[in-house]
Amino acid sequence: MAKIVTPAGLSLPDPGFAPDPAVVRRAWRSWAFAVVAAPCLWWGGAGWAAEAVPSAAVAGKSSAPVKATRAAESREEWAFQPLRPVTPPQVAGVATGHPLDRFIDAQLAAQGLHRSPSADARTLCRRLYFDLIGLPPSPEQSEAFEAAHALDPAAAVAHLADQLLASPQYGERWARHWLDVVHYGDTHGYDKDKPRPYAWPYRDYVIRAFNSDKPYARFLEEQLAGDVLYPGESDGIEALGFIAAGPWDFIGHAELPESKTDGKVARHLDRDDMVANTMGTFASVTVHCAQCHAHKFDPISQEDYYSLQAVFAAVDRTERKYYADPALTRRAAELEARQRQLKQRQDALDAQAAAAAGEGLKKLDADIAAATRQPGGNPGAEFGYHSEISPQPNLLKWVQVDLGRRVALDRVVLWPAYDDFANIGAGFGFPLRYQVQVGDDPEFRESVILSGVAVNDDAPKPGFQPQVVPASEVTGRYVRVTVIKLAPRSDDFIFALAELQVFDQAGTNHALHRPVTAQDSIEAPPRWQKANLVDGIVPAPPKTGDVAEMKQRRMALWKESLSAAAQAEWATTTNALAGVRAELAALPPPRMVYAGGVHSGSGNFVGTGGAGGQPRTIHVLARGQVTQPGQKVGPGALSALDFRSARFELPETATEGDRRVALARWLVDPANPLTWRSIVNRVWQYHFGRGLVGTPNDFGRMGARPTHPQLLDWLATEFRDGGGSLKQLHRLIVTSATYQQSVGTDARAENLDSDNTFLWRQNRRKLEAEAVRDAVLQVSGKLDLTPGGPGWQDFVIEHPEHSPHYEYGLADPEDRRTWRRSIYRFIVRSQTQPWMTVLDCADPSIRVERRNESQSPLQALALLNNGFMVAQARHFAERVQRERSTLEEQVRYAHRLAVGRSPRDAEYSSLLAFAQQHGLPQLCRVLFNLSEFAFVD
Amino acid sequence: MHPSPPDSPFHRATRGRSAPVSRRDFLWQSGGGLGGLALASLMRGSAATPDAGRFGGHLHHPAKAKRVVQFFMAGAASHLDLFDFKPDLVKYDGKPSDFGEPVEAFQNGLGPWLKPVWEFRPYGQTGKLLGEPVAPLGAVVDELSFVHNLTSISGVHSNATLLQSTGFQLPGYPGAGCWVSYALGTLNENLPTFVVLPDHRGFASNGVKNWDSAFLPSQHSGTMIYPGREDPISDLFPHRSANYVTPQGEVAAQRLLAELNQGHAADRAGDSRLDARIRTYELAARMQLAAPEALNLRAEPEHILKLYGLERGPQTWPKEINDAEEVFHFSQKCLAARRLLERGVRFVQVWSGNDNSFPRRNWDSHENIRQDHGPLAYGMARGCAAFIQDLKQRGLLEDTIILWTTEFGRMPSSQGGKGRDHNPFVFTNWLAGGGIRPGVTYGESDPWGYKPLDRTNPTRVYDIHATILHLLGLDHERVTVRHNGTDRRLTDVHGRVIRELLA
Repeated sequence: MAKIVTPAGLSLPDPGFAPDPAVVRRAWRSWAFAVVAAPCLWWGGAGWAAEAVPSAAVAGKSSAPVKATRAAESREEWAFQPLRPVTPPQVAGVATGHPLDRFIDAQLAAQGLHRSPSADARTLCRRLYFDLIGLPPSPEQSEAFEAAHALDPAAAVAHLADQLLASPQYGERWARHWLDVVHYGDTHGYDKDKPRPYAWPYRDYVIRAFNSDKPYARFLEEQLAGDVLYPGESDGIEALGFIAAGPWDFIGHAELPESKTDGKVARHLDRDDMVANTMGTFASVTVHCAQCHAHKFDPISQEDYYSLQAVFAAVDRTERKYYADPALTRRAAELEARQRQLKQRQDALDAQAAAAAGEGLKKLDADIAAATRQPGGNPGAEFGYHSEISPQPNLLKWVQVDLGRRVALDRVVLWPAYDDFANIGAGFGFPLRYQVQVGDDPEFRESVILSGVAVNDDAPKPGFQPQVVPASEVTGRYVRVTVIKLAPRSDDFIFALAELQVFDQAGTNHALHRPVTAQDSIEAPPRWQKANLVDGIVPAPPKTGDVAEMKQRRMALWKESLSAAAQAEWATTTNALAGVRAELAALPPPRMVYAGGVHSGSGNFVGTGGAGGQPRTIHVLARGQVTQPGQKVGPGALSALDFRSARFELPETATEGDRRVALARWLVDPANPLTWRSIVNRVWQYHFGRGLVGTPNDFGRMGARPTHPQLLDWLATEFRDGGGSLKQLHRLIVTSATYQQSVGTDARAENLDSDNTFLWRQNRRKLEAEAVRDAVLQVSGKLDLTPGGPGWQDFVIEHPEHSPHYEYGLADPEDRRTWRRSIYRFIVRSQTQPWMTVLDCADPSIRVERRNESQSPLQALALLNNGFMVAQARHFAERVQRERSTLEEQVRYAHRLAVGRSPRDAEYSSLLAFAQQHGLPQLCRVLFNLSEFAFVD
Repeated sequence: MHPSPPDSPFHRATRGRSAPVSRRDFLWQSGGGLGGLALASLMRGSAATPDAGRFGGHLHHPAKAKRVVQFFMAGAASHLDLFDFKPDLVKYDGKPSDFGEPVEAFQNGLGPWLKPVWEFRPYGQTGKLLGEPVAPLGAVVDELSFVHNLTSISGVHSNATLLQSTGFQLPGYPGAGCWVSYALGTLNENLPTFVVLPDHRGFASNGVKNWDSAFLPSQHSGTMIYPGREDPISDLFPHRSANYVTPQGEVAAQRLLAELNQGHAADRAGDSRLDARIRTYELAARMQLAAPEALNLRAEPEHILKLYGLERGPQTWPKEINDAEEVFHFSQKCLAARRLLERGVRFVQVWSGNDNSFPRRNWDSHENIRQDHGPLAYGMARGCAAFIQDLKQRGLLEDTIILWTTEFGRMPSSQGGKGRDHNPFVFTNWLAGGGIRPGVTYGESDPWGYKPLDRTNPTRVYDIHATILHLLGLDHERVTVRHNGTDRRLTDVHGRVIRELLA
């Protein structure tokens, strides 16, 4: 197959090849010439930069923070130099003008180049729409802009920019860029690749942050330490999805303890991902290269790297609960803390009594346990329904029965299962918290939640006792039991149920032998299978052993062992605990987000919750080997920068959260030279196809040098000092003549600067996979702009009980739920969406600083033949037929909708002849495959 | 499970054409009919140069081989029961195991020593001992070279699988086939350079992460092909719902598209991406012609089908894992692999074994080696043996490298019962063909098959990859791409060409 690589002359060089040194040298020389008058040359000294720099300017270098020993190398470490105030250069004959253009023009002039003329209004309109909101303009929108542009180009652009930046689609467009960088996904990846049902709140947070123009410093802080810095605010919790955005090795955590080497490796690599994500995203440095040895190219020591690991030492990827209402979140946290406290006290008193009562009590407890766990609780081989095993208690699981028709109910009865496994016996797998829903559709989009069951508080163990849930005056066809908190087994969590009965008033059980579906199920007949849930077979309680009598004796013995004061305290504590539990139970169900946090688990994946969130000890690992721990390190950042201490000297009482706060503060410090350059460079890249630094994740020596260092610093400073407003930055960029240039070529300029390093024209850009997809839907008239919520899925999950198979081929292209914007797609890591992947979509397993851009026959086939394209071409044709009456009009209109202009005469006659012969749907399919559709000038 | 549908190309080969010809049938038979016609009107003796890869055809040194096929046994195939016979295990079978050092086993499965569950017998001139299920490989055993001292760095399936497939234990690195595609380019631009034949039942750990291009351009990703399915390559032809697409309309569409796109490109001179894009549509049309032809297994004569054990075609298979079904599925992939390699595909990866589902259809035999390994190994051996003989008789073996691998081995002790736990400390690979010295063993495991005999000199995947690149004319240290601050390569910072394995 042909590999048709993006030619060197365009915006995407072969991945991984450093920019041509000659180009960089030229850039530097021209910059140096252009700014002779400026007093702020901030590095230089020896080497190539000096050759073109007047000595007076060199003398301007002062107070560089890089340690003296490294001064000789400092030219290589440009990004570590402080930001210096820069004034836009004066260009001959132009006293004022857009500051950004003055930087660009000065450098162009030094090269003997000049800016291209402005693009025409129609082109500019399409460019602004795709850049800012990722969708094409409608013909009407385009016409309105063209008219305004004819009167006052500058005002028209400013007005449109404001309008687009204010639209909710702006956040959706730019959040996608951010999610590329942080490698967001909706599954864990690795072996099994389980879904992450609560990753999306972070995605929605990012969209919201962009739309509300959240100041960048705050945006950054929230993603690392929102829970500590902005307690009680849902943004502060949802933002922590950043820490957990990347892949997670489920098997390495859930099947291997931290005591085993492979378990240690899994946790080490997990933290490595957090560190690399944080420092790559916010600071554009490749700290992960210092894992095995000091960074080979940049001033980053192994100690620096492990100090950064220490910041995340207490943290795992976990599901965190919160409320939209900050007051509720605070209240829940207080109550939970109080509950823990009371429970501890109660346990202590119990332990005291147990110690005093000695063997007698132990014996009684054993007898009671034996009596309650009467073997053979099951009358036959059929036990019931059993969910898949979960490492965490708080994964939502459900099982439901289809009654076949709507039934007026009276009550729902849940029979606990029985299994001797782990000596559990009666009540095996019975959920601690759950709810029962009745609805008319199998997906429970609308349903009635039956009251009277444990939702917010752990239910008492049911033993053999069937749980009756009143349901009079409720009618529905489907009944679902949703578990909010799973039952513990030996070291993991499950949901099991012997029987589910749904009675009407006459006492008929409508669930008997009806179809059962479940989110997951261990099908291990005859004992466990879904069908057993409605087979009419339930475990029977034991016949022997007077448990009640034994319990009385136990109570008496227990009382004798405690002082009266202790007994009284026990009673008060127990009462208080009941009160707290009741209050907690009265709270509405919490929200969840998959985020970085202190995890409290059991089995192998225990997290640090059990130890009160105490950070794990982090050592410098010789050669990155977990088997070779060296010195211990505390939390810190990069020691090559000394604007503030790079070792976070936190007080003894500091919590793990304080470590994250310290890193966030270090990053957002106005004197941090990396942070501010990093973000403005990213934004620049998405407007021009290439950053001022061509490697946005790597400002080190292996990365590219800035092509316009002064402009970069000016932008960074303006951005920082202007409150970190991204919308302001967009406005600044798109109102410049540099941005508005045409993409047209010029032989002379091409010859001098074929890469367009100096921006003598705008770069033509190929639409990313998401933009293509969204544009197709917009044009076909089917785009559903519903924002937020769980991701839509264009696959069918098979075998969810083991490793889910995400079968894209089985999806129905006519499924309207998939016609939402691409940002809301459920992103699977191990089985990436084939159509998107072929179109160079970001790989959710890698931090993607910039999309690859390739052309291949497989792309052509995907755009022609994929079910999505085929279906949308039909919808496109139907829309056009609806909105225009004659074929002639339809053809013109379709072309206009697809590429934003009317066809030329020659084009029109070909299109019309084609439509006459092969039909409008086929024509629409052709239009979706035009280069003009896929590229933006 | 995806049973072979009744109108699969292969099925038609064995049953004749009694069924009415469906539209898709027509497409796949005449893939032809459609792409081919379009082609005729478009090709204009296309002059564009096919991609010659990153090194533009200039290799680092003369190549011994042009193509690679990798057989990957997902779940960790037992070296001890198939290829690496240990008399001591027979002698001490059932005795408490003693490794002489603390061992961390994945499931703590360190029961008594367990002898190979099958008899081993010598084969070929070399007298190499093979376990009973892989006896079919006896016919070609003198062509094979064994490496018995491979070690992994992880005992976790996902990490160890990635290590073997991409050279790194984390997701996000290109598969070996991607690197080869990137470095060498294509031999036939009408077919993908890197083809993956996944297990028909599902993906191994990490799914497509084992073969996707990561930070290399997407055209270097492995293209998944499912021989025998209704749609062996997704999107090669219009989706089944495309009721408005006719063969004539398809030809006209290609022509109209070319016309309009050429006009667009002409107005934007100097942007070679636009010309390149036009060409991708031509190549797509050619692929519509070339792929069905390449995958048309019924074109094979009866004696070849017999060689692969495919003469009876697909059957209704029993529910339990069984030899005949494994032979059919694996051999079908082997035959498709041969046809693809023969037509210029650079790198073919063939998978045996899916995810860790239940009942087991992969090599992760914690519970029962005999039950799972038996049929899987027999099917694999039948297919591989036929494949090697077939390549040889066509003169393709001499410039095609064959690598058989898995993510790690299994423990010499039982896991209490009839299964074995993970052994990342030692396992077996075998190689054959293009530039590999036939019939040798390089590197041995210790008498238990627990670790390498010489613990200071294990073989690692980096060495295998370095050797393969070497045979392809590439210096593994010079095939690099910069990504997030590092010059990445298939062999990370490791790798040694195993000279002892070179012919």
